Amino acid sequence: MDEIKPEMSFRMTTRLASLLALFALLLPHAARAEPVDTGHLIAELVAETGSIAPGQTIQVALRQKIDDGWHTYWRNPGDSGEATKIAWTLPAGWQAGEFVWPAPEPQPAGPLVNYGYSGEVLLPMTLTAPADAAVGQPVTLTAAAAFLVCEEICIPEDAVLNLTLQVTAEPSSASGRWAGPITDTLIAAPRPAEDLTAVFQAAEGGLTLAVTGARLAGADMAGSYFFPFDGAVIDHAAPQAVERGPQGLTLRLTPGFAFQAPEPPQSLAGVLKVGDAYYEITASPGEPPAEAAGLGPPPAPRSGEGGAGLGLPLAVLFAALGGLILNLMPCVFPVLAMKAASLAGHAHEHAAARRQGVAFGVGVMVTFLGLAGVLIGAQAAGTAVGWGFQLQSPPVVAALALLMLAVALNLSGVFEIGGSLQGVGTGLAARGGTSGAFFTGVLAVVVAAPCTAPFMAPALGWALTQPPLGALLVFAALGAGFAAPFVAVAFAPGLLSRLPRPGPWMDLLRKALAFPMYGAAAWLVWVLSLQAGPMGLARLLAAAVVLALAAWLFGLSQRRGGWSLRGGGAALAAAALIAAVLPYGAAATSAGSSPDAGPVAELPYEAYSAERLAELTAQGTPVLVNFTAAWCVTCQVNEQVALARQGVAEALTRTGTVYLKADWTKKDDIIAAELARHGRAGVPLYLVYDGSGAAPRVLPQILTEGLVVRALEEAARPS
Amino acid sequence: MTPRRFPRRPLLAGLAATLALAATPVLAAPAIGKPAPAFTVVDATGKSRSLSEFRGKTVVLEWTNEGCPYVQKHYDAGAMQRLQKAATGDGVVWLSVISSAPGKQGYKTAAEARAWQAKAGVGATAVLLDPKGEVGRAYAAKTTPHMYVVNPAGTLVYMGGIDDRNSADPATLKGARNYVTAALADLKAGRAVAQPVSAPYGCSVKY
Repeated sequence: MDEIKPEMSFRMTTRLASLLALFALLLPHAARAEPVDTGHLIAELVAETGSIAPGQTIQVALRQKIDDGWHTYWRNPGDSGEATKIAWTLPAGWQAGEFVWPAPEPQPAGPLVNYGYSGEVLLPMTLTAPADAAVGQPVTLTAAAAFLVCEEICIPEDAVLNLTLQVTAEPSSASGRWAGPITDTLIAAPRPAEDLTAVFQAAEGGLTLAVTGARLAGADMAGSYFFPFDGAVIDHAAPQAVERGPQGLTLRLTPGFAFQAPEPPQSLAGVLKVGDAYYEITASPGEPPAEAAGLGPPPAPRSGEGGAGLGLPLAVLFAALGGLILNLMPCVFPVLAMKAASLAGHAHEHAAARRQGVAFGVGVMVTFLGLAGVLIGAQAAGTAVGWGFQLQSPPVVAALALLMLAVALNLSGVFEIGGSLQGVGTGLAARGGTSGAFFTGVLAVVVAAPCTAPFMAPALGWALTQPPLGALLVFAALGAGFAAPFVAVAFAPGLLSRLPRPGPWMDLLRKALAFPMYGAAAWLVWVLSLQAGPMGLARLLAAAVVLALAAWLFGLSQRRGGWSLRGGGAALAAAALIAAVLPYGAAATSAGSSPDAGPVAELPYEAYSAERLAELTAQGTPVLVNFTAAWCVTCQVNEQVALARQGVAEALTRTGTVYLKADWTKKDDIIAAELARHGRAGVPLYLVYDGSGAAPRVLPQILTEGLVVRALEEAARPS
Repeated sequence: MTPRRFPRRPLLAGLAATLALAATPVLAAPAIGKPAPAFTVVDATGKSRSLSEFRGKTVVLEWTNEGCPYVQKHYDAGAMQRLQKAATGDGVVWLSVISSAPGKQGYKTAAEARAWQAKAGVGATAVLLDPKGEVGRAYAAKTTPHMYVVNPAGTLVYMGGIDDRNSADPATLKGARNYVTAALADLKAGRAVAQPVSAPYGCSVKY
């Protein structure tokens, strides 16, 4: 290396020195502050800039980096705890503002709920320098911060924190590593929304908070929540039921002990969370306005166990499989009977058979997609419906029962459809047969709905959390699977030609197949009796008798050729239908004998409620929950074959398990929401909770006694 | 290191917590002016105690947890013991309730409870052992300390904090307004309790 000449080294030194000086000028002044580890968190005072001018206001913040699993508290800590506090020691003239509190998280702790923060939190404050601050001097500001930091236990911790700033002549702009985070925190913090109007009304045991404003129209309100500033006004642990309105929402809160004081609160202030947004609101006493309610609860949130993780290809596969298996389910069998009769009538007319197959397939697909559309539309409107919903409505059940009866009477030969009596068994008119096959497809789907085959449940549960296109694809796959066997047979000449030639045996088959249809009609009558009580049953039975009479008259007119008889028969049939269905349009589904008085009850059970389940879980008791409905045949079969059994009753007493039944025979929003929470859209659903608070075990849809007993024993085993 | 986005907004966690709220048991709230919830529970001497046996006397219920800094604020300074002795000297029944579940902070077996009573000079009439949390839940006890006063007719006349200083700092005892003392004075003078409710503060009850 060359020796450095003296004049060069001097030039280098000056160059270096001037570079360093330039650097020092350009480098933004850093605020100096040392973080303090208080035990379970690290506290620090940070600022958005390293310098401040006289009279300038800058943003500073108290930073907490809290240990994993521990948390500190919001301004209202909730049921217990203490908010973070800060006490500044400032030179004369300096002023610091109050904390800007970021939106808190609810932190449940057993039966209690606190509001606070975990992880890393910034609590911004303003800091104002006096107009006469000495320029050019660094200033050190001191604050004593006190935290209550809790995990399972609570520890009060505190720290004395310092912040050193340069006082400069020119106001500084926000720069440095904390400028961005502080700005982000301020932007995200709950902000007053002047355009929102809030009123509250305290009634016996209930507190309603109604918030309206143009910005709430159409907002996503699932998970809306009110965090009050005062810890005395609401019961923090109680759930807050949300009701949507066209321009607002209503929250049903549980009043806190402040409402038991001689002078109840005259205002309710706090942070309202709507979807992703947080607003500061202050509510005054008043009547809830109309725009705050009326649209029902928000749709269940898009997260659910079970079906959630499926993904489209798997859901489509499951749906197709489920549709295939659905052909074997008990409620589909009567319609299968009709399908068989129809197909047997065309075994040797291949073209007609193919047409019928296609018509049946189209009927099935159209109906599945139509039902799916109605379901998706109803869910979007906030109504809690699930798969099988059409059978929760008594008019629909009554109409279906009469329809089944009419079809059964037709199969029994009381009257004919489309064609003379001689046409039986020797090839019905192809056109009549095609449209008949189409409507058979429609009917098959409508009646198959209450049956949920294996694979169907997770596929449907997933479908109903997806946007309409995905859901429709799943339902289309279901329809395809359901129609596939019949369509395949209709298109397989080999199978068709194996059937014997038409003859008197066809008439015998047809009359025999009438009886499963009578069975289906009887089942629907029973379902209606549970939904609408004895009076509804009487009305339907009377209508059925009138319908039978109408059918006979119709058949008579076909044999004798009298139009007046035919007309009379038709009129009677119409009258029967109206008489059976109309009363339900007027009256609600009330007057039903309670579904609890149903047929099972060899097992002692309690009605399901979320509170009871939570109570039992808190006590550590294992629970068996049975989501069922009277119109769900799979449920009823499971009940008889697997549940209402001596072995299960003994297992329940042995393991101390409590049996809760959630009956979905009539519309019930709470049960529908609970089903959605588990990723299901229909019944049955069997859950076994082991009392430790962990997620429940989901039993298969087809139960056996042994399976149930084993599940109960495993759940009761201490883990 | 690039600063992360502050504060973290765990929306899903919030939603999950909100959903979980629907499943957690809600404590049934006792009401001022209504009969205080009945209970039967074993005390530290093994005797079964129930609220009904104290009918005709004023009863103070104090939820306690020896490990909680807020309880320690009162006990370490002897303030709670003085209050207990003053009240029991006046014919008031003072029941200290431990609702901590086994394994959690504050839980005591009967022997441990008796030892604590002796060592700390607890002036309560009885120390009730409620490890299952039945009495706690019946009274919706949220914090330690959480105080309730029942009048001789069995009606709940006060529920809430012991005083108006939500802090674990012993310095805050001085000048604090003690609501229990005030309620007992009101009852003794035959007045209605002027402040029947206040914010309970402290650590959460470890159910």
